[in-house]
Amino acid sequence: MKSTSHNLVMSALFDGRKGNRPPTGTPTSIACHDLMDATGVSFPEAHLNAGAMAELALAGHEIIGFDTVMPEFSVDQEAAALGADVDWGDRDRMPDTKSFLYEDFSDIFIPDDFLEKPSMRVVSDALAILRRHVGGRVAIIGKAMGPWTLSYHMAGTQNFLLQIGLGEKGKVRKMLEQLLPATIASIQAQFQAGADMVVVADHATGNLVGAYHYEELLLPFHKELTREIDGPLILHVCGNCSDRLDFFAEAGFDAYHFEWQVDAKTAVQRVGHRMSLIGNINNPQILYQGTPEDVYNQARYAIEAGVHIIGPECAIPLATPLENLKAIVAAARDGY
Amino acid sequence: MTNPIEIIRQAVIEGRHNEIEALVDKALENEMDPELIINRAMIAGMDVVGQKFSSNEIFVPEMLVSAVTMNKGLAILKPLLQSGGGGSRGKIVVCTVKGDVHDIGKNLVKMMLEGAGFSVTDLGVDLSVENLIEEIKQLKPDILGLSALLTTTMPEMQKVIEALGDEGLRDSLRIMVGGAPVDAAFAEKIGADGYGKDAAEAVRIARSLQALSKR
Repeated sequence: MKSTSHNLVMSALFDGRKGNRPPTGTPTSIACHDLMDATGVSFPEAHLNAGAMAELALAGHEIIGFDTVMPEFSVDQEAAALGADVDWGDRDRMPDTKSFLYEDFSDIFIPDDFLEKPSMRVVSDALAILRRHVGGRVAIIGKAMGPWTLSYHMAGTQNFLLQIGLGEKGKVRKMLEQLLPATIASIQAQFQAGADMVVVADHATGNLVGAYHYEELLLPFHKELTREIDGPLILHVCGNCSDRLDFFAEAGFDAYHFEWQVDAKTAVQRVGHRMSLIGNINNPQILYQGTPEDVYNQARYAIEAGVHIIGPECAIPLATPLENLKAIVAAARDGY
Repeated sequence: MTNPIEIIRQAVIEGRHNEIEALVDKALENEMDPELIINRAMIAGMDVVGQKFSSNEIFVPEMLVSAVTMNKGLAILKPLLQSGGGGSRGKIVVCTVKGDVHDIGKNLVKMMLEGAGFSVTDLGVDLSVENLIEEIKQLKPDILGLSALLTTTMPEMQKVIEALGDEGLRDSLRIMVGGAPVDAAFAEKIGADGYGKDAAEAVRIARSLQALSKR
């Protein structure tokens, strides 16, 4: 196998042949101030303009040296297309959904032109631009919100979690069921636009909900999702999810993008034979506040543990120093 | 189990929000002291909820329902307390710092602190340093609790602490911080008095800070 960025990532995604080094990259946001300054692209432009999106995403490959590009920096694209009022933030602030249209858990309306709404179109267009520029050379990752995260955006996070606590399982399942088609449509559109793989961010986060909540309420929908989609899917769930790794593998995802709170060795031993693992450099303490040496050491730990693709655990803090991100690439260049 | 205190305590722990009002009414009909019900059933119940949360036996959905249950009980009991103020264990102000709109962690801390008998004022999310200073001057709390979910907003906590120092308000105030990216080392670095990794620990920290300030 020729050890290009694209090949290394695609092979690692299916635990295939190893090239001359482990691949690096991230399925979540790589946006940071240093890359914004280098490209002249900032927020909110990079959420709203396809060219700006693609340019900032590309900087993750061209400036940091990651083997992946992923152009969606917010978690609010689908929510906006479903009618939510989104504050697109600024250079120092990530976007946020401001209104919850279905707080009352009434029937959710997915517009016929959902994929043509500006917040969806911009992602497809950015992926198409990336395909034209680096297709076949760099692994292109799309990103869609899963039905659980969309429920947070539609009902409000606390409200959604409270309904679960109150035992309103019918309401909760109905919302997930009604939102799943939006996730599926978003994923399919991104594959058609040029994504090599798509990450599904679905925040049934450790510390917010338990493995038993995931198993009972979300696992059936994730199984349905992986049945419906033919292309490679990565699952991203934040927090300490050590207690639900086996369920993620059972759901049928090809890879799991995970946090430092889940020990890399444990994750590889438990599910590394069933799904690939991506991550899991600690963001707040190491990438943001640590030194390049700290980052290098953590990346080496992940490589030696057998993590398949090495990168940050989640969307990186906006003030992450570039040198720290480059230390991940340096650790991978030292090989297996 | 016939002890009404124990029955109410269990109802809080299990989040039996539909039953709590009837249980409290019945205890009051039997001439139980409202303050005793609050201390031995409500506060003691929420302590157990906090422990179960810390040990990952339960998660946010269950905790929210226990808080709903507790609040329904407190709504009956608090107006009956003799001193009006209800023997508050201390006055606490909580908020999420500027630039950060995440509020679940902060809300859970508020619920748990109220469950533990503190009087809590919630100043909401995305609160500027200037507005917070004004509120502190007016409310004169014993403790300030600062929350941040984002790594990008962590530095705001330090700005708040520095501004309180500049205004001469720092010495009369204990400050505790929390949120996903925050840890004890960061809390110490920015000069906070305490850090709690979750809502249950926030209660323990608040209790110990209150005990210290009363020495």
